[in-house]
Amino acid sequence: MNIAVLIKMVPDTESKLEVNDGALNDQNFKYMVNPYDEFAVEQAVQFKEAEGGKVTLLSLFSENNSIDTDLRKMLAIGADEIVVLRQEGYRGDKPLANAKTLSDAIKELDVDLVLCGIQGIDYYQSATGTMVAQMLGIPNISGVTNLEYNSGTLKAKRQIEGGLQTVETSTPALISCQKDMNKVRFPALKDIMMSKRKPFENKKVDSIDSNDPITSESSLPPARDGGEMIDGENAEDKVKKLIEKLKMEAKVI
Amino acid sequence: MSNVLVIGETDGSEIKGISQQVASVAAGMGEVTGLVIGSGISEAGMKLSVAKIIMADDTSLENYDPVKYASIASHIVKEHNIETILLGATSMGKDLGPRLAAELNCGYLGDCLEAGSEGFVRPNFAGKVLAKSNPTGTIVATIRNNAYPAGEAWSGSVENYSGEIAESTLKTTDIENVGSGTVELTEAAIVVSGGRGLENAENYDSMIRPLAESMGAAAGASRAIVDAGWVPHSHQVGQTGKTVAPELYLAIGISGAIQHLGGMSGSKCIAAINKDPDAPIFKVADYGIVGDLFEILPILKSKF
Ligand SMILES: Cc1cc2nc3c(=O)[nH]c(=O)nc-3n(C[C@H](O)[C@H](O)[C@H](O)COP(=O)(O)OP(=O)(O)OC[C@H]3O[C@@H](n4cnc5c(N)ncnc54)[C@H](O)[C@@H]3O)c2cc1C
Repeated sequence: MNIAVLIKMVPDTESKLEVNDGALNDQNFKYMVNPYDEFAVEQAVQFKEAEGGKVTLLSLFSENNSIDTDLRKMLAIGADEIVVLRQEGYRGDKPLANAKTLSDAIKELDVDLVLCGIQGIDYYQSATGTMVAQMLGIPNISGVTNLEYNSGTLKAKRQIEGGLQTVETSTPALISCQKDMNKVRFPALKDIMMSKRKPFENKKVDSIDSNDPITSESSLPPARDGGEMIDGENAEDKVKKLIEKLKMEAKVI
Repeated sequence: MSNVLVIGETDGSEIKGISQQVASVAAGMGEVTGLVIGSGISEAGMKLSVAKIIMADDTSLENYDPVKYASIASHIVKEHNIETILLGATSMGKDLGPRLAAELNCGYLGDCLEAGSEGFVRPNFAGKVLAKSNPTGTIVATIRNNAYPAGEAWSGSVENYSGEIAESTLKTTDIENVGSGTVELTEAAIVVSGGRGLENAENYDSMIRPLAESMGAAAGASRAIVDAGWVPHSHQVGQTGKTVAPELYLAIGISGAIQHLGGMSGSKCIAAINKDPDAPIFKVADYGIVGDLFEILPILKSKF
């Protein structure tokens, strides 16, 4: 089974978020592999180990190559190759445009399955994967916590409100991976060494026009002031006062 | 004023609360048509508070299927010259929304906190940044639960969908209710969350869950205890978990790491219990108690 895994490089969760004149300052961002995408890589490698085939990692990013080291670590998990689509002026908040570029690249690979993370932890749209599936004309199952493959049939459990929906489909399909899906392995030293020799291809792609909405203004949510520390003679007294305040002041219980 | 489509969801014989919230957002935006897709949904679907409802009621539509549902919605959008399509930011909405936007080759805005003729506001970086946009042309948007009050249930005129339904290879073979009887995290008015301060899974089960239950709250967790395997990931609040915005968020034995704050700082009121007076959670809490949770929780529990 040949599998493509979509990987998004996202600003590190510790990144300082600064807004100047209504625009988010992204100059000093350091990037990391989107955490949900790691589950997709692990799942792809497990399928490859069971079924044979090839795992190709596909990432769309700018010309900035500071991401290469982190991206290469995904090869140590057991993927076979990386293709990075390098796009001048790439932005992570254009799911429609990015899905078009990614789906065009996937068409050139001969794959039975596309895996990605449920969402990017930058813009939280949960959109690109689903859009890629539509553009490839294949079904998608999103938010999957358990995925099995048995001679051509995928069986996925996806999180829904209050429970799990089990969905089956034949391949090709696109699956977006949720956290509980698996435990991402720590690569052995020999796998890390080997990953350094695996193919890492940079491919230039044109930027494209799209109907993605443009953010006209970014802002930081109103800062929460530290509130009131509740004093009291003892624990009983403090709890009493807290409940009183939640009832009478905040009116939330 | 534009033509607006609201895609509603049912829950048994009721229309979901979030769908009524979406309907009330839509009411201010133009001429509204409702669409409800499913099997045996006519009673529930009628309650969607819009003037005109299209019902796609077919046994093949019993469970959510992105391929089939998107084909129906896009058919209606084209037939009725609809420019704005609104859904609730549910497990269905967040999947159907982008699939439909791709099918229509139009923009998509997920999990909006505000939607209206003045523009759309949605959270980036788990709510650490708010992004506003004023899209022109066709747009699909999902609306976050509890961002707007619900519209009243009433029946508009009903029409049955008679267009095509796309073929799909997807087949739902089971719906499993886990934790039935417990409140869904993202829909709860009160969330009681526990962290590493609880020391072990048994304490989470014997202290956090019962407190949540007696307060009618959902039980949440920090990533530290999800990673430790005390609770499943579906409980995790934060940048790599769920974003919640309840009336009351109670953080117990949680330090308040930036990734955790990302998922809950939109709560109306935050109360924290922590033994460390310098814990960062107190910087965002409206009310804080410095103390030992093992002493405080039993007392708190006895009040509900
Ligand atoms: C990429 C990335 C993504 C992440 N995503 C998330 C996320 O989505 N959600 C999330 O929560 N975290 C996330 N984290 C992890 C985050 O950085 C913290 O490690 C985590 O939130 C800490 O959990 P905690 O507060 O339970 O534990 P700790 O930080 O260990 O805090 C425990 C707290 O309990 C208090 N305590 C201990 N004993 C008692 C007692 N007896 N009585 C009262 N108080 C007591 C302590 O004072 C302390 O403040 C992420 C991290 C990274 C790197």
